[in-house]
Amino acid sequence: MNGDDQFEQRLQRQPLREMPSAWREEILSAAHKTESSHHRSPERLAAQKRGEGGWRARFWPHPTAWGALAAVWLVILGLHFTAHETTINNFARHSAPPSREMRELLREQERLFAELVGPIEKPDADRPRGVAPRSQRRETFLNA
Amino acid sequence: MPADIEMLYDEHAQALFAFLLNFTRDENDTRDVLQEIFIKLARQPDLLHVARDERAFLIRLAHNAAIDLMRRRVTRAKHQEQFGAEKLNAFAETTDPDEAAFREELAAALGELPSDQRAVVHLKLWEGLTFEQIAEALEIPLNTAASRYRYGLDKLRARLRPLYEEIK
Repeated sequence: MNGDDQFEQRLQRQPLREMPSAWREEILSAAHKTESSHHRSPERLAAQKRGEGGWRARFWPHPTAWGALAAVWLVILGLHFTAHETTINNFARHSAPPSREMRELLREQERLFAELVGPIEKPDADRPRGVAPRSQRRETFLNA
Repeated sequence: MPADIEMLYDEHAQALFAFLLNFTRDENDTRDVLQEIFIKLARQPDLLHVARDERAFLIRLAHNAAIDLMRRRVTRAKHQEQFGAEKLNAFAETTDPDEAAFREELAAALGELPSDQRAVVHLKLWEGLTFEQIAEALEIPLNTAASRYRYGLDKLRARLRPLYEEIK
């Protein structure tokens, strides 16, 4: 055992002063006085009636269980968002623009089709109709 | 609930008293802070439910309350009145003159330490807490607790060595 350890032990052996015994009653009576006035305060009674402040007492007894539940929810949310992102990525991958070869193939098919069938006429529905002025449209409606 | 407060008092008040007396170096401040803590515990009986280590939690309350008291006093008085300035012996009286001289010298040396070092030295030497418990109680990093102890102890050793060697 070296001198430093001995010095430390010497310090540790020094007994500390005792607390004045009269303090016990003084301090505890002050605490009880505050306690009873605090418990009887109208705000606290009203809050107790409303059931406020009880949530802690209800939830606190099992902090580990509540923590585990929160962790499970976090995992569920994490999985949910990961799955969502994967779906978006897959969609983006599948809807990516076709390659150059594919485009050429399509163009070739279109050309062959045009040679076989001839020029394609657009159906009537696709042709732009001449839109009558608003005043004439009203007239037509009234005459009908 | 009253029985709980009394039980808490009997279990922890002496340790809190010694810590506060060494930290504040003032008996009135020690009493005020001690009373403040027990009033707080009476008002909020579920305060200790969250504590892992009851003693460490109460020491933290005491430490914070003592620091608040010091800040209030400094603001009010507009001058830097620090804890530790008063010559106060936190150790028991003895009839042995050598021991009495050593305790007096030790009390004076403790008073010269900065209050943060004094708090750590007290908790380590006389409360027997580990550095981990001290770090938790004083809300400081573990390494800080260890280094404050080392610095504090070095200063005590330097100050007390002549007397210690003489009466060893």
